[in-house]
Amino acid sequence: MAKKPTLDLTKYVRFYEQMVYIREFEELIGKEWNNAAAHGMGGYMHLYSGEEAIAVGLIGGMDLSAGDCFIGHYRDHGYALAAGSDPGEVMAEICGKATGCSKGKGGSMHICDAARGFYGGYGIVGGNVPIALGLGWALKYRNQKNVCACFFGDGSMNQGAFHETLNMAQLYKVPVIFALENNGYAMGTSIERSHANQNLRSRVDSFAMRSVTINGQDIFEVHEQMSQIIQEMKEDPHPVFVEFKTYRYHGHGAADTPVTQSTYRTRDEVARAKEEKDPIKFAQAKLIDAGVLTNEMIADIQARAYASAEAAMKFSDESPYPDPSELIKDVYA
Amino acid sequence: MARLRYADAISSALREEMLADDRVFIAGEEVGQYLGTLGVTSGFLKEFGPMRVVDTPISEVGILGLGIGSAMAGLRPVCEMMRMDFAMVAYDQVINHAAKIRYMFGGQFKVPMVIRGPSGVGRQLSAQHSQSLEVLFAHVPGLKVVVPATPADMKGLLKTAMRDDNPVIVMEALRLYFEKPDVLDAILPGLSEVPDDPDFTVPFGQANVLRVGTDVTLIGYSTMTIQCLKAANILAQEGISAEVVDLRTLLPLDMATPIASIKKTHRAVVVQEQWGLYGCAAEISAQIAERAFHDLDAPVQRVTGAFVPMPYARNLENISFPSEHDIVIAAKRTLGR
Repeated sequence: MAKKPTLDLTKYVRFYEQMVYIREFEELIGKEWNNAAAHGMGGYMHLYSGEEAIAVGLIGGMDLSAGDCFIGHYRDHGYALAAGSDPGEVMAEICGKATGCSKGKGGSMHICDAARGFYGGYGIVGGNVPIALGLGWALKYRNQKNVCACFFGDGSMNQGAFHETLNMAQLYKVPVIFALENNGYAMGTSIERSHANQNLRSRVDSFAMRSVTINGQDIFEVHEQMSQIIQEMKEDPHPVFVEFKTYRYHGHGAADTPVTQSTYRTRDEVARAKEEKDPIKFAQAKLIDAGVLTNEMIADIQARAYASAEAAMKFSDESPYPDPSELIKDVYA
Repeated sequence: MARLRYADAISSALREEMLADDRVFIAGEEVGQYLGTLGVTSGFLKEFGPMRVVDTPISEVGILGLGIGSAMAGLRPVCEMMRMDFAMVAYDQVINHAAKIRYMFGGQFKVPMVIRGPSGVGRQLSAQHSQSLEVLFAHVPGLKVVVPATPADMKGLLKTAMRDDNPVIVMEALRLYFEKPDVLDAILPGLSEVPDDPDFTVPFGQANVLRVGTDVTLIGYSTMTIQCLKAANILAQEGISAEVVDLRTLLPLDMATPIASIKKTHRAVVVQEQWGLYGCAAEISAQIAERAFHDLDAPVQRVTGAFVPMPYARNLENISFPSEHDIVIAAKRTLGR
């Protein structure tokens, strides 16, 4: 019997660090939201805290420099950071600055990084899913041994666009990972109140598509399973639907305050999730057990992550707003 | 020069660009095995294979998503809508995605795709298959909108669309698809002629003076350009010299050409196939008022379609859109006749 391959634990220390970096980045934004206007922040602000293991584990399993790519939705800061985008440029975009990755024209919902294969975050629920079909089609068209990951939430599955896309993706066997981040709520509407069939994964069985359910709070499970799946997709192009079970700590967006959140979930529920399902705590405990992470290292990583987020904010604060002449640029190529 | 039908011009443009650039592929309903609902991709599947001539399910959202994503990744998709009315099913992909991607990502991506298909009135297809919805696209920054009237422009503008780095909506006039070259040439000599040169293209944003005149300027696009030419023939018999300006593209919009004409004729009639309220003719009339008010000897006249969903009955359909006689009446009104 083949021996189970041993985990590359140093890689997981790096993933742990990435998750902490994303968490600190998001929490700093959450904290500074009280002072949003001074930083240039406005609009909505969808934070990724609680869901970090999905972006880090999945994107960490792709070879972005060799042509793998991904596309996201509006809760998109974590994707860019997981892909190695410059935190300063991401923060500057969130603050509407000229140095932002989208020149300050997209904002928090429209982070992107073409050089790292990040085809952007989109603001229409489910609207990015058909585009992933095209990204995957291009890979197949060129006979590239690559995959495209498409992140979306449970709300997207109730859009017609989702169903058209999955049918065509399976029909054409495009190498797209349809990565459902099931955090239990489409804004303030729970799965129970929005899905006639609450077994979301079973909803794609009708497309005869390969599917899997993964604990999205467990970076080891996310990464090991996705790495294996990605390798198989590269050998034999086909789509895969992955349901990541996860939880979001913050409201849907900044407008979803503790008061509005109280209409759909209790403070206890959130506190319990943070206590029992936190992806960072989970990884931390396992890595300490394995003897590759110490309390000293944890403190050091935490401090560096916080400093990185602060540096990103400082970079953004010191950056200019877009020149008025930018208003009419980039409408056409 | 070849004398072509409008539909043949479409086929010819598609085929030439597919031969010239292997990034180009066509996706749509019945484009392959069925040989195209209107035959413009007949034989393409056999010639180019299933990766380049993609038969799709009846899923307009999926078709346009396929186009947008693959365009962002460097291909040059041509997405066929069996009827442009059906693009409404996927309006979100066009308006909220294709048109926005360049800008909202600060210029990091481009979306070189064509969305094309037959549009407008003409075959008793009634309310859901006869609309001219170009204004819904021409209203949106980030898109380009092409409205050819002649076989040569159909070919030349479609080729330009396929070489453009932006999402281009090509509204093809169903009513003109199978108009015989002889019929077109009887309206205006040479109207059906298309240059043979495979590098022949027509640039965007350059309106075309199809007929020179001195008394009144008739401004149209797509089917209404043909109606304007017919009206000009009638007016000529009554001693009125009409100049006909074909806009060719609505976005970008060339107003310099019609305004130059108006500075000469001092009178303008703007013609549009479908609803006038908030329509393209309203925009053009407003720009004339802003830029050439003092050159006008009479108020600008609009001639537009009836403000109704398209009826099925042939007699009702026939009176729902501007006829050459409606245009003649409007032209005479500008002349006080």
